[in-house]
Amino acid sequence: MAIETLKSEITGTVWKILYEEGAVIEAEAELMILESMKMEIPVEVEHQGRIQKILVAEGDPVEEDQDLALIEVD
Amino acid sequence: MKAAVLREQNKPMEIEEVQISKPGPREVLVRPIAAGVCHSDLHFLDGSYPYMLPTILGHESAGVVEQVGSDVTYVKKGDHVITCLSAFCGHCNKCLTGHLSLCQSPEVSRDAEEAPRLSSGGETVHQFLNLSSFAELMLIHEHALVKIREDMPMDRAALIGCSTTTGVGAVFHTAGVEPGSIVAVIGCGGVGLAAINGAAIAGASMVIAVDMIDSKLELAKAVGATHTINASSGNAVGEVIELTKGGCDYTFEAIGLKATAEQAFQMLASGGTATVIGMIPVGTMVELHGVDFLMEKKIQGSNMGSNRFRIDMPRFIDFYLGGKLHLDQMISKHIKLQDVNSALEALKTGEEARHVIMFDQ
Repeated sequence: MAIETLKSEITGTVWKILYEEGAVIEAEAELMILESMKMEIPVEVEHQGRIQKILVAEGDPVEEDQDLALIEVD
Repeated sequence: MKAAVLREQNKPMEIEEVQISKPGPREVLVRPIAAGVCHSDLHFLDGSYPYMLPTILGHESAGVVEQVGSDVTYVKKGDHVITCLSAFCGHCNKCLTGHLSLCQSPEVSRDAEEAPRLSSGGETVHQFLNLSSFAELMLIHEHALVKIREDMPMDRAALIGCSTTTGVGAVFHTAGVEPGSIVAVIGCGGVGLAAINGAAIAGASMVIAVDMIDSKLELAKAVGATHTINASSGNAVGEVIELTKGGCDYTFEAIGLKATAEQAFQMLASGGTATVIGMIPVGTMVELHGVDFLMEKKIQGSNMGSNRFRIDMPRFIDFYLGGKLHLDQMISKHIKLQDVNSALEALKTGEEARHVIMFDQ
């Protein structure tokens, strides 16, 4: 089992987190939505896995390349 | 209501029945009369920029107020308005320091916990840039519109909603072009043409239009370019340097490419400023020659022309009606909502400036 780190591609704000810690998430599913310059940006996981830890909360500002979540993948 | 819904990137939008919520206390229901089809919409359709799907694209529109929320006093039913994606809160750090176009307050959109403004059969349809103008109705925050004079033709007004404000604003506000300046604009689409027109209004002594399509360069001359360069030669930078005898005071990149952003910087004279207006794809890096900074060359971005749109847009209308701002030539074609996909295809070729959707009344 490996841990993948989900990172932000942009600077913005966490608008909505769509899953809870411990949940299983499918490959390419959106874990959260960021808001940046009026845009709603989906943050997708690359591989199916279990969400080990969500590192941000709704309303948090995020920077480009910031860690957003840790996903346990097989 | 009918709307053009994007469900998958790089696929055509579908005209669907979409449900729209009722105005909240600070929201306004607008019936679009005209909506421009902008290259920025294409960036989201083709995946250059990600967006939550499904969504209704479109962000450049003019319309009539249909209904207002309980706390709205700025407009009333029947008022003519232009919408703007630079919705502002009016009280954050950015707004209070005069940078309304950089407002990041979430209060202009609905909370994730509230019922969405747009939905389809119970599924949320994500509002595009707080607007979604490819639709028969728009439900927006009251700070996402400006009231305008009723003698302004609405198809021209729609252009002011994005491309004009973005291009002219970049010249007036972001760059602050001074009379007598030498200016070059790379890219003669809607935004680039607006920047060219803006530079002429600002009193630039030389306004050089750079594009690869001759018809676009002819259009650039009609809106204020003093010189044109066809970049197909592959040496646009060299030609600009030779024409200006050393480079430009101001350059504007209005396409959204790494190469042209770098060229905009390379075209500068010492002390010059390059302004990147175009939307460079996410993940793209721009490379500059470090030594050029010793010559005090500068590069900066511009978001929606660094606008204060409630002041700018009425002024742009006055410029148009006074003959200074050329909008008539920017409109290639009037179309219907169901033709929106073909309008976006036309943008890919770069042959035409702007298709404008005219809604049935």
